[in-house]
Amino acid sequence: MRKLRLVGTLGSILVLALSVSACGKSTKVGGTVTVLFGTAPDSLDPGMAYTTQALEPDQTAYIPMTTYAHVAGVEGGKLIPGLATALPTISADGKTYTMTMRPGLVFSNGRPVKASNFTYGIERALKIPWGGSSFITANIVGAEAYASGKAKTISGITANDATGQITIKLIAPYGAFDNVLAFPSFAPVPKGTPFKNEPTNPPPGVGPYKITRIVPNVSYQVVRNPYWAKEAIPGIPSGSVDRVIAKISSNTTANALSVLGNSADVFDFADTIPPSILSQVPSRASGRYEKVIKNSTYYFFLNTKTKPFSSELARQAVIVGLDRNAIARLGSGFFTPACYLLPPGIVGHPTSPCPYGDPTKPDLAKAKALVKQSGMAGTPVTVWGEMRSPRRQFVDYYTSFLNQIGFKATEKIIADATYFPTIGNLKLNPQTGFADWNEDFPNPIDFYGILIAGDAILPTNNQNFSQVNDPVINAKVNMLGSLYKVPTSSLKSVESQWQALDEYNAKKAYTAVYGYASFPKLTSNRLDFNAATLHTVFGWDWLTFKLK
Amino acid sequence: MRRFVVRRLAAAVGVLFVISVLTFLIFQTIPNGDPALRIGGRLATAQEIAQIRHEWGFDRPIYVQYFRTMEKIFNGTVVSYTQGVNVLDQIRHGLPATLSLAVGAGFIWLMLGILFGVITAIKAGRFADRALTVLAFIGVSSPPFFLGALVIYYLGYKAGVVPLGGYVPLGQDPAQWFSHLIAPWLVLSVLFIGIYSRVLRSTLLDTLGEDYVRTARAKGISERRVLARHVLRNSLIPIISLWGLDFAQIIGGGAILTESVFSLHGVGQFAAESIGRLDLPPILVVTMLTAFAVVLLSAVVDILYAVLDPRIRLSG
Repeated sequence: MRKLRLVGTLGSILVLALSVSACGKSTKVGGTVTVLFGTAPDSLDPGMAYTTQALEPDQTAYIPMTTYAHVAGVEGGKLIPGLATALPTISADGKTYTMTMRPGLVFSNGRPVKASNFTYGIERALKIPWGGSSFITANIVGAEAYASGKAKTISGITANDATGQITIKLIAPYGAFDNVLAFPSFAPVPKGTPFKNEPTNPPPGVGPYKITRIVPNVSYQVVRNPYWAKEAIPGIPSGSVDRVIAKISSNTTANALSVLGNSADVFDFADTIPPSILSQVPSRASGRYEKVIKNSTYYFFLNTKTKPFSSELARQAVIVGLDRNAIARLGSGFFTPACYLLPPGIVGHPTSPCPYGDPTKPDLAKAKALVKQSGMAGTPVTVWGEMRSPRRQFVDYYTSFLNQIGFKATEKIIADATYFPTIGNLKLNPQTGFADWNEDFPNPIDFYGILIAGDAILPTNNQNFSQVNDPVINAKVNMLGSLYKVPTSSLKSVESQWQALDEYNAKKAYTAVYGYASFPKLTSNRLDFNAATLHTVFGWDWLTFKLK
Repeated sequence: MRRFVVRRLAAAVGVLFVISVLTFLIFQTIPNGDPALRIGGRLATAQEIAQIRHEWGFDRPIYVQYFRTMEKIFNGTVVSYTQGVNVLDQIRHGLPATLSLAVGAGFIWLMLGILFGVITAIKAGRFADRALTVLAFIGVSSPPFFLGALVIYYLGYKAGVVPLGGYVPLGQDPAQWFSHLIAPWLVLSVLFIGIYSRVLRSTLLDTLGEDYVRTARAKGISERRVLARHVLRNSLIPIISLWGLDFAQIIGGGAILTESVFSLHGVGQFAAESIGRLDLPPILVVTMLTAFAVVLLSAVVDILYAVLDPRIRLSG
């Protein structure tokens, strides 16, 4: 009888297993996924990591106090609590943020996490210094004094290890500060971690995975963090695969072919699929390839402080005549022609038509007429550009276009590594050239506060290349402007104001926006393509990888 | 012999010093090449840039920066500006791949270069000469990035005969090591086979007309022996010289394109990536490695000269 019951039980299990597998939608837990990158991360140490190639693995191993929903599309820009029990509470004056560290957290080395580890992580990022340190030094009381060595602690941060409470005092209200807390670079790290970049031995963190077996510029692995099981943070997946192997190979053609041929699983979205094989990708990778728009805007800056683009009519001529379809073709189709600075995934992206007509229908005759009308015809223009493809080709086209409409344009192409420091040097006063912006976080202030606000004009590392200093815009987005202060959680309430501002900016033709970049989402047959998310902030969200 | 070695070592030190100073100075003159700006990134404030300058010593006089960098190179602590990784560790990691590439390709191009050179010389004007001459020109005109891309697509992706790139250490799996290197070896060799066969053909034809060759033939020595002992041996001198320099250049990271196309992660690829980032320390170390390899191998070549032609004396 017992034997029969056992046979019956085994039979039931078998039937259940077969019926589950027959659904065809089941995905297995475990296994290894291989990701191919064309470019090495700047560093896997969160205290130094700034590029997308570094952010992807870091967001699996260094969960910050706040983070983003692990979902695709615009919803992925929604802030959720990370290591904090809830999103920070903000004082009425917008200058004090309070949050509490979740109790019982453990680093990947087994040591307990305390509230003061958050302070330590911030201090370390400032001392290294991390590429986005200015988000802290410009906002937290005492942070700049600490970074410059004038103070031994950051006076604006207090952390209570007993209660887990963390209080942060800001110099002035900064609505996007919640987003700043979501950088993995500001995640807690154990005390005693050296205040220097540790590219081959990054510090322990809190996350579903940990980074290991790092061979710089060659490969590294992300494996399960054995202590993560104790955590259970709502909204943060624990990840399905046991291991992600990241390989760096500068030949992106070979990388794309490897993923097409299923010998690797994920193609880095930040790499370009070479035009030579792009045409065969949609058919060969049917069901595992698509283009995904992320929050990045590409434009030509138009220096408003010097001829010829000090003339609004001359700027309008560029906007009116620019053939955005041609640029999209040069970008192998990975561009959506556009005219507004804020991309569709950012609150405040206008829905109204472009002020100077359909961006896909250039009007060369009108552009020529506007140049004549501006009195700037024949003005010599130096067009600045980077060497790398297709940016170089964008600038080639743009230069010939400027000549077509009546300017005397010549190119100045310089090495990629020195491009932005060069055009960001205010003394150079560049007239026009290539520019782009990839969001640091999904908040319109990340675009306007850095690229357009008058107080963003800096002597070095200037990002307001057009040198826009418009009182209408400044009143909203300068450090004390009304929109600058709006907390991330309330952005929707001021959406129409942002839209109006972006429309105003487009109307004034301060930047010749030509498109929003889209990126290739390409995986192998082994990976569950629908589950794998090309996230608006993280890039590839490794926590969503599942093998079929 | 001792004098020769001492003189070559002194020359090596001199060359390394001059090369390092020149490389260092070139980086100081690049417009907006301030490494602090690149380390800081696009959003770094003036205060952060000043902080980086101070911590990395970029605010010190140039000669101090130079000597500090050289000190770090020689005590093994020099790190890359942009990634913070130890440069010598990177070179150590990349050297086996580069050496594997250089030794295999060097052997192939030397052997096939000599074979094709001899065939074209002894069959001068005939079909074999013309066919191999055309092939040589095709080889010389085919840049490794183009040929490599074709090989990867057709032999790697389509036929699945070779891997799509990467390097497997010899000690880890000899078969995989070989299969990952066969395509890079051939791609890198094609260019050199073309050059070497043309050079050898020319010198062989010159040598074949020499009096001592006619004398050897008049003595009744077999044609094969004349060719091997009298003609080829003398004609190999420029080939050995060329091979030494080319081999040294590849060991020093000269196969940038081949290493990059096949993602071998050797010294050349490291150099190429560092140049893209304008990262001085790796470029400085790789440049010095190349210079050292060239000096060392040209000394070896000089010794081989003496072996090939006893009239040449090392002290001469």
